[in-house]
Amino acid sequence: MTELAVRLSGVTKSFGSHTAVSDFDLDIPRGAIVGLLGPNGSGKTTMIRMIMAILLPDRGTVDLFGGFPDFARRSRVGYLPEERGVYEKMKVLEQLVFLGELRGLTRQMARSRAGHWLERLGLAEWSGKKVQELSKGMQQKVQFIGTVLHDPDMLILDEPFSGLDPINQDVLEAIVREERERGKTILFSTHLMEQAERLCERVCLISRSRKVLDGDLKKLKRRERSGAVAVEFEGDDRWLMRLGIRDIERVDDAHHLSAVDQAQYDAILAAAMEAGVALRRFEVLEPSLREIFVRHAGEQAEEPPMAAMGGGR
Amino acid sequence: MRQVWIVLRREYLERVKTKGFILSTIAIPVLMLGMIGLSAFLGIQAERSERELALVDYTGRIGDEVARRVQSYGYSMELVDRVVALDELDRRVLEDELEGYLVIDDLTLSEGVFAYRGKDSPSALRRALFESAVVETALELHLSTMESAGTVRALIEGGQLDYESVVESTGGEGAEVARIRGIATGFAGAFLLYLTMILYGQYVLRSVLDEKRNRVVEVVISSVTPWRLMLGKVLGVGSMGLTQVGIWAGSGAVLALFGIPFIAAQFPSTELGGFLQYLPGAGDIALLAVYFLLGYFLFAALFAAVGAMCSTEEDAQQAQFPLVMLLVVPFIMQMTTIEGGGFAWMDWVALFPYFSPVMMFPRAVAGAVPWWMVALSLVFMALALVGTAWVAGRIYRVGILMQGKRPTLRELVRWVRTA
Repeated sequence: MTELAVRLSGVTKSFGSHTAVSDFDLDIPRGAIVGLLGPNGSGKTTMIRMIMAILLPDRGTVDLFGGFPDFARRSRVGYLPEERGVYEKMKVLEQLVFLGELRGLTRQMARSRAGHWLERLGLAEWSGKKVQELSKGMQQKVQFIGTVLHDPDMLILDEPFSGLDPINQDVLEAIVREERERGKTILFSTHLMEQAERLCERVCLISRSRKVLDGDLKKLKRRERSGAVAVEFEGDDRWLMRLGIRDIERVDDAHHLSAVDQAQYDAILAAAMEAGVALRRFEVLEPSLREIFVRHAGEQAEEPPMAAMGGGR
Repeated sequence: MRQVWIVLRREYLERVKTKGFILSTIAIPVLMLGMIGLSAFLGIQAERSERELALVDYTGRIGDEVARRVQSYGYSMELVDRVVALDELDRRVLEDELEGYLVIDDLTLSEGVFAYRGKDSPSALRRALFESAVVETALELHLSTMESAGTVRALIEGGQLDYESVVESTGGEGAEVARIRGIATGFAGAFLLYLTMILYGQYVLRSVLDEKRNRVVEVVISSVTPWRLMLGKVLGVGSMGLTQVGIWAGSGAVLALFGIPFIAAQFPSTELGGFLQYLPGAGDIALLAVYFLLGYFLFAALFAAVGAMCSTEEDAQQAQFPLVMLLVVPFIMQMTTIEGGGFAWMDWVALFPYFSPVMMFPRAVAGAVPWWMVALSLVFMALALVGTAWVAGRIYRVGILMQGKRPTLRELVRWVRTA
């Protein structure tokens, strides 16, 4: 039990007639980096808010570090809400020092750490400005600093990358990875599949308030392999046609062969040798997270909210 | 405790540093002094412009004396020759050279009837002055032919009620000063308490609402308990309030100690010097501080709870209405009985803890209620504060994390029960 940072069992939460989270189970091991994926309105934020005990579930239990997310447990978490909660009229550095002190740092320690982070995120020259004078992206970075300042055991980040330009997304991604290296548990929500693919070891896919899939990303992908192979070569492609594989699709320079099982790999390679073409690539294709998602969530998940999911880079 | 202090310090510094604080600190006394000054100025101007009066005496016997008497009240009165036509005086009135004029004839001497001609009817005060000037002069004329003139004159002048206040310790003039001082201090104190409780209560509400609206509270609440957050906030705004009232009181004291003697020295004839003795004593101010602190916390807790149950500015405007009423109602009741007396049942109403600051403090300093009632009101307020803080703390705890519709009364009760 204790190696779990978060455990949700049978969690259900409704607002009036709308069910935001329905019968949800999820285990997050300590030290894992988990992506919570789903279209807008699928229940990600509600789940996170229940983990932070901002909302209480109608049914089921939420455990944080092995118990009810009480005050002592919550204070071990750095939480970045989706709405950017900042004191707009406070100066950047003062705000961070306030948050740091509130979480038990001494004034000096809070000041020096905040200074260090502001430097790192390129905000040093803004430290004396009021938060409301900063751009949205900068405010978000300030808030991110507030989240990590007290060096919590776990980071819970609700859409941490939305609204940031690519350069800042990279900076933040690097920091998240670093924190992960330092042994922190990280849970973040996103609707950007590509990003989750880059960053996560584990994913939890949500659609329409229900869990679709969760688990180790690599294993998930292996399990979800559909038996597609990409072959790229120089020369005539008639040898390919002779293989008797019905479904061949030309994608850029490569040919994608569908419905191929492992036993056929050798035959394909041998045929290529025989034809004397210069083979440049032979790859067992893994489905993208997005394909997996669509496969499991079904067509209904491709409705308008899904459009936002394509917004990666 | 450290967290409460951190929240308090932020709340205090963020408020004291704003332009709003500096402005309201300067503007409110300036505005109040300005209003008093303006009304006094206008009053003087009005009196001045209306002072030109005339008098026509067809009897030719009392005109001089009546004019002298009216002049002694500070008006300028010109004795017009009786050959001048009244048409001529009417013309001068219409051209605003004269405010109006009195006409005295034989009927005045026999029956005391005389006329005033002017564009506007004379004020009650002026009417009384004219009547006494004319009638007394006429009486004097008759008396001068009588034997017992001296006695009658003495009787007329002796028509005066001497008031002697019944007070235990000091008597005579000192008691009268103390009475007026009590009333003035009570009135000013009630007004100050009313103003500051409404003003600072709304600061607390705004502060809670802002934190809730921009969701800062969701971040902060993972590091500090709701109760500590609320306490820090209320204490922070309260400290700011004390600072502000302190600045007002301090500058007022400086003004009183140096300004009034200075002005008094410039105008030795006026009674301004005597004004000093009407200023409140240290005991009154200490009592005011006690009522301020208890009253502020009582209402700050309520305003914090209201802020926590609302999600929008409009919501808050509506929801705070009952609280504002809780302050306005006693204030209106107090205004109807400025001397602190009025109906006896009001003394008991003043024991209601939420009404006590505005209603019991003026009664206490005016000596209108026995000391045990004052003590009882403080005990009630302290008890009410414990209860209010408990309920408000629970509403706050649930409310700050709720978004959307304002809770109904029934939901509120459930919040308090389950929190």
